Amino acid sequence: MQALKDASNQIKTYFNFISYKQSYILCCLILVSLIFVVLAITLGSYGLSIFEFVKGNTTAIQNTVLIEIRLPRVILSALVGASLGISGAALQGLFRNPLADPGLIGVSAGAALGATLIIVLGGDLFDQYSLGIYLIPLAAVAGASLVIFMLYLMTRGFGYEGVTYMLLVGIAINAIAGVGIGILTYISTDAELRSLTFWTMGSFGGVTWPLLTPVIVMILISIMIMVPFSRQLDLLQLGEQEAYRLGIDVQRLKYTIILTCAAAVGASVALSGMIGFVGLVVPHLTRLIGGVNHNFVLPGSAIMGAAIMIIADLIARIIVQPAELPIGLITSAIGSPFFLWLIFRIKRL
Amino acid sequence: MSIKTESVSLSFGNKSILKDITLEVKPKEILSIIGPNGAGKTTLLNMITGNLSDHNGEVYYDSRPLNTISIQERAYIRSVMSQFQNIAFDYSVMDIIQMGWLDHKFNMISSDLENYQNDVIEECDLQSLVNQKFNTLSGGEQRRVHFARTLLQLWQPPNANDQNYLLLDEPFSNLDMVHKLSMMRSIKKRAAAGTGILMILHDLNLAYSFSDRIIILKKGSIVKEGDVQEMLNEDLLSKAYETNIMIDQDPINIRYY
Repeated sequence: MQALKDASNQIKTYFNFISYKQSYILCCLILVSLIFVVLAITLGSYGLSIFEFVKGNTTAIQNTVLIEIRLPRVILSALVGASLGISGAALQGLFRNPLADPGLIGVSAGAALGATLIIVLGGDLFDQYSLGIYLIPLAAVAGASLVIFMLYLMTRGFGYEGVTYMLLVGIAINAIAGVGIGILTYISTDAELRSLTFWTMGSFGGVTWPLLTPVIVMILISIMIMVPFSRQLDLLQLGEQEAYRLGIDVQRLKYTIILTCAAAVGASVALSGMIGFVGLVVPHLTRLIGGVNHNFVLPGSAIMGAAIMIIADLIARIIVQPAELPIGLITSAIGSPFFLWLIFRIKRL
Repeated sequence: MSIKTESVSLSFGNKSILKDITLEVKPKEILSIIGPNGAGKTTLLNMITGNLSDHNGEVYYDSRPLNTISIQERAYIRSVMSQFQNIAFDYSVMDIIQMGWLDHKFNMISSDLENYQNDVIEECDLQSLVNQKFNTLSGGEQRRVHFARTLLQLWQPPNANDQNYLLLDEPFSNLDMVHKLSMMRSIKKRAAAGTGILMILHDLNLAYSFSDRIIILKKGSIVKEGDVQEMLNEDLLSKAYETNIMIDQDPINIRYY
């Protein structure tokens, strides 16, 4: 308990404008995530114990399962959850709109289309060079950035007025990208493309360390760039004009958030497909338990996103074992009623 | 030491919004801009703050051209309050007030700043509201919160004594007369302490009883500028507003200022 207190004091001195309660919540969230990590590594269709592994009492095959299959999968789910959670929170702040979500407004779809395009059209390229593993996430990032910039142009700088409009544009982009991915999966015989279900529903299966490494780097860097902009996102809530008057380079803030969100979402979609509603639900839950200031909401959404995604993936793996459910099915099952509730609550659409 | 505009003009497309505006906001002085709707008052303010930058002519803060001053530094020189839109998330009143803490200040939250903040909260009569959600407040209450934030932005460390300015667009709208009066006192107090003040006002009585100098703006041009006494002229006002305006210097009037 004392350790928890010390840790929350540490967090409180690191982030200004975060209350004692909020730093306490962040600590608890980290603790819960770590417990989930251990659970997720241990449970599954192949029984494993992380404690036995630490002691060195495991067989070679158990080690392989743990290090080559289980661990990358858990890390990927945590990172994807973190990136979707924090991107959702940052985009909601940037758009000054509580309904922004990388999935709903088409950012994930743009990323998925970018990734599938490069897999199908650049097929030769990435068999030959190790560059290929970077090419897919980069294409996804390009797709995601393109969509956010398009939204930016279409909503005339993310004005608060454009809520409904933005969601409609998101529906259209989702549909267009869906068609593109559908056609690409249909004409491609390339095994690398995986299935349509993978791109539309998401999965953490089959990830390997070489694929995972660039994604880890991209997501962590995006998060580290994003978090220091929390205070500026708070001030942006007063409106762009006021934020500027309080000394904020609004243009720079926008481009930073757009690019980091695109990088985080693009990287996660490239490896796990589109996973809906996480970016919507997680920031709202975070605000509900601890408050709305971005110094808390950004890191809180990242950690809570990670925790929720780890547990969602665990459920997806064990509920119908040895088969598994698409992860997007679980997140959408929880997320879509929540979305509906939110729409009724916000009403000023 | 002043905020100055030098023959500034601005047009949107071929519509001319501001024509050849030269004005100066001096320390310790309250300057009010009055004029009919559509005269370009708010646009002028946006130009002085730097929100609009595609104009001819130059804006100076303390003799330095505005475009040579960083966006961050501008916030230390002038604090602005204007009309506001909704806030999407449930920030508390305290959160909004503290948005007036500028960067270098929240790296060293001194007891002096805390004291100043408490004074400002009391000054704006917000003690009982600080823990409420901003979005649940009435229009007048929200105005006072924004005013408190604007005052907080003016804070300086005890030994610093930089010249700063307070720019206000219709600060008294939605306020009841008690709070109008106390806000006026706050503004007067800042002026006496050396802050230069520019206000856009619609209420002529307020403007004349409260300012040191007045500028009448009409159709984007300055009609006349001068001391209050000099500007107290029925013809002048009638022409500016294109209606008959009478000045009664000895009225039966409920005065609260």
